[in-house]
Amino acid sequence: MKRKIPLGICLIMGIMMIIQFFIPHPVSLGFASTIYKWVIVLMAFALVLAIGNLIRHHTLKIRKRKEDWPYSIVTLFGMTAMAVIGLIWGVDPDSLYQRIFLNILAPLGGTMFALLAYYMASAAYRAFRARSLEATLLLISAFIVMIGFMPFGQYVHTRFPAFAEWVMQVPNMASQRGILLGVAFGSIATALKIILGIERSWLGGKE
Amino acid sequence: MSSDPWIWVGALLTLMIFSFLYKDNPFYKFGEHLFVGVANGYYIVFYWHNSLRPNLFEPLGAGEFIYLVPLLLGLMYFTRFIPKVSWLVRIPIGFMIGWGAGLSIPALFQAEVLRQLEGTVVAPSSFTNPMSGIWSLIILVGVICTLIYFFFSKEHKGILGHTSRIGIIFIMIGFGASFGYTVMARVSLLIGRIQFLLGPWLGLID
Amino acid sequence: MKWYDRITRIDRRIIYLLLTSLVILPFFIKVTIPQNIMPQTKRLFDFIEAIPPNDKAVMISFDYTPQTQPECHPMAKSLLRQCFSRGIPVIGLSFDPQAPGLAVDALTSIVNEFDSLATSKEDSLVYGVDYVYLGWKSGRIAAQLDMGEDIGGVFPRDYFGALIDSFPLMNKVKNYKNVAIVVILASADYPLDWIRYPQTRYGVNVAAGLTAVMAPKYYPFVQTGQVSGLMSGMKGAAEYEKLVLDHGYARALGNAETGMNSQSMIHILIMIFIILGNVGYFFSRRQKGADK
Repeated sequence: MKRKIPLGICLIMGIMMIIQFFIPHPVSLGFASTIYKWVIVLMAFALVLAIGNLIRHHTLKIRKRKEDWPYSIVTLFGMTAMAVIGLIWGVDPDSLYQRIFLNILAPLGGTMFALLAYYMASAAYRAFRARSLEATLLLISAFIVMIGFMPFGQYVHTRFPAFAEWVMQVPNMASQRGILLGVAFGSIATALKIILGIERSWLGGKE
Repeated sequence: MSSDPWIWVGALLTLMIFSFLYKDNPFYKFGEHLFVGVANGYYIVFYWHNSLRPNLFEPLGAGEFIYLVPLLLGLMYFTRFIPKVSWLVRIPIGFMIGWGAGLSIPALFQAEVLRQLEGTVVAPSSFTNPMSGIWSLIILVGVICTLIYFFFSKEHKGILGHTSRIGIIFIMIGFGASFGYTVMARVSLLIGRIQFLLGPWLGLID
Repeated sequence: MKWYDRITRIDRRIIYLLLTSLVILPFFIKVTIPQNIMPQTKRLFDFIEAIPPNDKAVMISFDYTPQTQPECHPMAKSLLRQCFSRGIPVIGLSFDPQAPGLAVDALTSIVNEFDSLATSKEDSLVYGVDYVYLGWKSGRIAAQLDMGEDIGGVFPRDYFGALIDSFPLMNKVKNYKNVAIVVILASADYPLDWIRYPQTRYGVNVAAGLTAVMAPKYYPFVQTGQVSGLMSGMKGAAEYEKLVLDHGYARALGNAETGMNSQSMIHILIMIFIILGNVGYFFSRRQKGADK
């Protein structure tokens, strides 16, 4: 029962969603719309669960005095303060909540990703070697894009930007489409396996 | 230099994160943990304001009891913390997985298989402009060879070997282009932070 | 140590220092190199130009995060300038949980900019009439599909908690039939969901403004017409800023355009470093071959 009921629900939902896609009748549309509304709620619960896990992780870390535990206080304090501020004083454009977002959250997040520019430059210098024909092609294609899409590209040759665009629209597009089709076939096969109960890893556990 | 304390907060936090370039240090760790905390606090507000309240509790309050179903299903997620009934968590997961899988089959088939194959077909009309006809042929060859490269059910020998070799050429050009674009993206993010430090904080640029 | 070994072992601190200097330097040397506009950026611009004023709305899905703000925020601002200048109503929404703050910031700053230039009350932009921000919603695929039937069923309230029935704009725009195009400004694969689901089901037009990392993946969709226009990274944003400026919808170029000079310098620097690394590698390999 512990496995059959969830598998049955999965099978029924899967088949019903496929069928409703092909029948634009008001009954089918009404059914789909109800399910969509439920999914919106369920996804919100899943996110609440994720936050619950985060709180549990950091409280345990503090309680057991694990390495770097004082920083967990920072996380929990930041989370509680931000939630309280938003829930009590609202989210208007000139609210404290919006100010904290723009002046604390945005700079922190933005700078974490900005660091990647340094690591990428350093890694490209150390690891990007034309060791084989494939690697050389990769290097040439990267250079064409890096020159062609910058404003100075037109000074290399007036038609260089157009050539870079051609690389994107023809060979790049062909390979991206090949990969896209491969992934799509794979995803459809996996979805079918899930619905039919062949792929059951999502059940987890033994029971 | 800015006299706005908020700008100063933003600038100091920016410098805290940049300090990681030297090495991992308490300032960076502080910034990193503050980010995780504030971000999650930020989410909580609109999980409530934008989803749970308008899409669950208000309809329930208005007497739409059908919403008890998603409420019950949603609460089942939390059974994973109660060992005796933890299997119940599989019910909302099964519901969501079945829903997603069922919906994705026709959608993927239409948007990513049929439409993409349609765009790959070379018809006589493709040659109304001879050059674009040639490009269409190259695209066709590229798509087929890339697909063959990822076909692992048979050993890549003979004709399969040759076509997959052409496939890898296309793939490498694609990856190279992606690398070029990635450089562009990462540098943009650094430029954004420097613009903030030089402009709003130091007032050196407009 | 031989010269070719030396050029492959430059200290990372020197690379970091050079990188920082070359990002900063162009801000103080004013050189404007004209942007060449990519066809897919122009396609998006032209699509929005062809929408009649006060008719169908443009839906902007703000799905970028502070991490990618320098690429997507200027796109949002230019797009809003074009829509507001042309009298096209804008409906904003988000599915990325880090996006609402940036969406509110983009909308507020552009609305303030327009209102400061307005000569009469009729000229100023009114929330709920000219634009609205619906906010964030969980379960994005379900939400996108259900909006095809009734937007109000998915978003009973806007981001600020007001009932959307109270907005004249939302009484006019009930579902995708009154939406000319959905432009997704994203730092993750959100446009793919719009293409797969609401476009397949309801035929809604989709365009995207993406971080440069993601842009190459979307070329197949541009070719098939599933994506009606594409802005790629800071370059795409700079191109759009130029188009908006050239058509008189803005008074000056924005942050993306001014950042492009730094971008050019860094590209040259990175290419020089890659070439140095490869020259060193080539000579050291040749030397090793000769030694054997």
